[in-house]
Amino acid sequence: MRLRVENLAFSYEDFRLEVGSLTFADGRVTSIVGPNGAGKSTFLKCAASVLPAPRRSLFADGKDLTDLRGRERAKLVGYVPQEPSFTFNYTVLDFVLTGRAAFIAAFSSPSAHDVSLADDALHYVGLNGRGRRPFLELSSGERRLVLIARALAQGPDILLLDEPTSFLDPRHEVETMTLCRRLAEEKGKTVIVTLHNLEMAVRYSDAMVFMKKGRVVASGAPSEVLSEPLLREVYEIDMKIVACAGQTFFVK
Amino acid sequence: MSGAASKGSGWLVWAAFALPVVLLVLSLNLGSYYIPFKEVWATIAHGPASGPAAASPAADIIFRIRLPRLLLALFAGAALSVSGASLQAIFKNPLVFEFSLGISYGAAFGAALSLVFLGHGFPPQLAAFAFAVLAVLLVLVIAGRSVSQIVPVLLSGVIVSALFQALLSLVEFFANPYALQALIFWLMGSLSQAIWKDLAMTLPVIGLGIVILILLRWRLNVLSLGDDEARALGVNVKWEKGLVIAVATLTTAAATSVTGVINWVGLIVPHLVRMMVGADNRKVIPLSAALGASLLIVADDIARNAASFEIPIGILTSVVGIPLFIVLLKRSGKIWL
Amino acid sequence: MRSVKHLGFILVVGILSALQAKASSLCGAQDRPPLFITDNLGRRVEIPGRASRIISLEPEITRIIVALGAGDRLVGLDFFLRNQDHLFPIVFPASQKLPVVSNQGQDLNFELALHLRPDILFSSPSEEKSTETIQQKLRVPVVALASIGRLENLLNEIDLMGRILGREDRARELLEYFRTGIATVRQTVGNIPEASRPRVFLSFWGSLLRTPVVYDPVEAAGGVNRAAGLIPSYLGTAAATVGVEQIIRWDPDIILVQGNYPPGERLVTVESVIGDPRLASLKAVRSRRVHYAFGFWYWWDPALVLLETQYLARIFYPDLFPAFDLEKEGNDVFKRFYGVEGGFTALDKVLNCHEWRRE
Repeated sequence: MRLRVENLAFSYEDFRLEVGSLTFADGRVTSIVGPNGAGKSTFLKCAASVLPAPRRSLFADGKDLTDLRGRERAKLVGYVPQEPSFTFNYTVLDFVLTGRAAFIAAFSSPSAHDVSLADDALHYVGLNGRGRRPFLELSSGERRLVLIARALAQGPDILLLDEPTSFLDPRHEVETMTLCRRLAEEKGKTVIVTLHNLEMAVRYSDAMVFMKKGRVVASGAPSEVLSEPLLREVYEIDMKIVACAGQTFFVK
Repeated sequence: MSGAASKGSGWLVWAAFALPVVLLVLSLNLGSYYIPFKEVWATIAHGPASGPAAASPAADIIFRIRLPRLLLALFAGAALSVSGASLQAIFKNPLVFEFSLGISYGAAFGAALSLVFLGHGFPPQLAAFAFAVLAVLLVLVIAGRSVSQIVPVLLSGVIVSALFQALLSLVEFFANPYALQALIFWLMGSLSQAIWKDLAMTLPVIGLGIVILILLRWRLNVLSLGDDEARALGVNVKWEKGLVIAVATLTTAAATSVTGVINWVGLIVPHLVRMMVGADNRKVIPLSAALGASLLIVADDIARNAASFEIPIGILTSVVGIPLFIVLLKRSGKIWL
Repeated sequence: MRSVKHLGFILVVGILSALQAKASSLCGAQDRPPLFITDNLGRRVEIPGRASRIISLEPEITRIIVALGAGDRLVGLDFFLRNQDHLFPIVFPASQKLPVVSNQGQDLNFELALHLRPDILFSSPSEEKSTETIQQKLRVPVVALASIGRLENLLNEIDLMGRILGREDRARELLEYFRTGIATVRQTVGNIPEASRPRVFLSFWGSLLRTPVVYDPVEAAGGVNRAAGLIPSYLGTAAATVGVEQIIRWDPDIILVQGNYPPGERLVTVESVIGDPRLASLKAVRSRRVHYAFGFWYWWDPALVLLETQYLARIFYPDLFPAFDLEKEGNDVFKRFYGVEGGFTALDKVLNCHEWRRE
């Protein structure tokens, strides 16, 4: 399912987000990069309806996302926050189970089917067997995977991940991004991630979107769009693009 | 452990619900007026005495004094615990309960206002509910955007509670000494005034509230993730959160308007339950109801039998609840159950 | 010549002395030496030679002051007596002109009190700390007194106040009248064996379940207060809360409901007790021996205490007191204590006491 953005304008306090026209293809990983305060998270939250986006600005397969009821929208778009904010120590499985909220009526409880889907999601991210552990016993990286599993259990075709690799050690960074790729390739999801790490972005994305001060500066496949002048414009420092051992590195 | 109740936890839930019923039946045997075991059963089997003059006072005592009182203890205990647990989930804050949100004193003030100025004919539950809701709204307004953080919510709750306590003093100031005496007595919290007329009005309301909250038990897991995440998961946060707060407030206010202020139950019980079975609200909510009902029955048994005079039940729950609150407060900041 | 001068001298001295004595007895304790008394809090207080500007925060004491004929020495009243009591304005109309020096909680307004320049102040023993504070701030002797349900205490108070105010004669007169009244009752009921005395449950203070642990008029009238001894007396409080079951267990012969406030404000009434389905099995309810009594809120009215005793005796033993006429006795008592005519009739209009006499 494609996500299409048309004239998305959102402002709060003294920040203004303006995205003209953008398309995120299905079966692909698109990363959104840019300096702090560029509006990457804001954009993602608008797409996830965590922030109220204006009408007729977000379309999933032709349907206006802002027009849908929350439950319907949640079945199309899944959001993985950077850090979950919580205080209660649910088990991992219970935590993932909350992802099924869109499919369960307000006064009902999950069915066996919901539970098995949650189990499957845990399995897919590689955490099967951890279902009964308390969530807060898991490491940072594992918790991130649980969040992704929750979004998977939700079953949407569009997945939005906010800084999924932040605060992770290199091994877990790679694990997470590999998972993103699998989601796009194996399951055909539209995966949109915001990243700080340019190397990761280039290595794992099919397309990149550069944002600065609430606007999109450039978008397209990394090979097409990357250039040193672009980097200087976006990040305001000089960076050299270096190819080495089949990968691209950025030297500041 | 999660999903449809496995055999182990199913047993636990049934046992938990049986407990308050068993305690109630046993407590029918306790009281200042001694009725032998056999006579209690015989009287119950015989049913409430019809006709004006009862042959022995046993029927009167069991059906008019002990039974309504124990039923009130059961319902009020369940109401306070379930409301407390639900509010803790909604506010993502295990230190929240009816007192820390100002509900207790809001309801008390409303009921007092009604009793003093509208007289005894008018049911105080309405004013109790109105002001309890007002109290919660005030807490939300004062906490503002920090409503998802623990300390600001507690602070707002303290402020609102203090406000209503002050207003209550004002009512006391203007009440004539006769109404004042009765009011002070009521504020101490007591189940001794349980009569069928009051219960007929209040118990159904409380029962309904408890049932609704139990039905919403899984939803509370989702809502406890926070507004943003819950919204992203497709939940209509405004409506569902509002519903939970309204129902919890109504249930607490209905109970408070009959019993006066009984504190700490809504805090202690959910914590004990979480310590036993974990944080999943599918278990916490119904078990809180059951355990809360049981605890209040036991507390009331002590209140009316430990001495020849009545110990106000609010004092009993405070004596247990306050030290426990301190312990829990010290543990906050660390991740708890 | 010298003898005439002598005589004249003696005459003048004699006349002057007589005048002096007369003046003393008229003006009160002008010249008596200072008095040391011990109040209810165990404090030893020195009472000044003249107690002519009095503030009383203790309604019971205020009433005694008026009864002793020293009402004109009051310069300030407490909130309750001035604004909420029903009897006081009847027996001491001048009270309406006096300033109120305390608020609802009987907290003293210090500035106003200072402004009134009292030379003595009476307070309630339940406020130990404020008694000391008042004494320190106003630099005036403060005496804490209350009888808390005990007749002996009340009588001692009247005696003490007589000495403080220099109205010993009047005090003696009142005490004589009081003691005679009580003694008359006691004589009539004195021979009744303990087992035959009616067991009484008192519902006071607007709640069915609140009862005074000590209320001497019941005992003086030949009854037995079921709640006696429920709370140990060293706790100092008079009120206990009981459960309904406890009342049933006691199964009193008579239930008394406090009635000295207007019917419209009564939270517990004779009707509500008789109609309470929980109490249906009680013999007092079945035989309708549920009556109003005057009772008390926080402090006694000495005249009402005497009247209460006589009234209760009539309730407990109607055959022994067939001629008891509440209105007549009431008016008599108020006349003797406060010097007002028809005081009880006026009170009756507020309390509807005439309803009580339908027994």
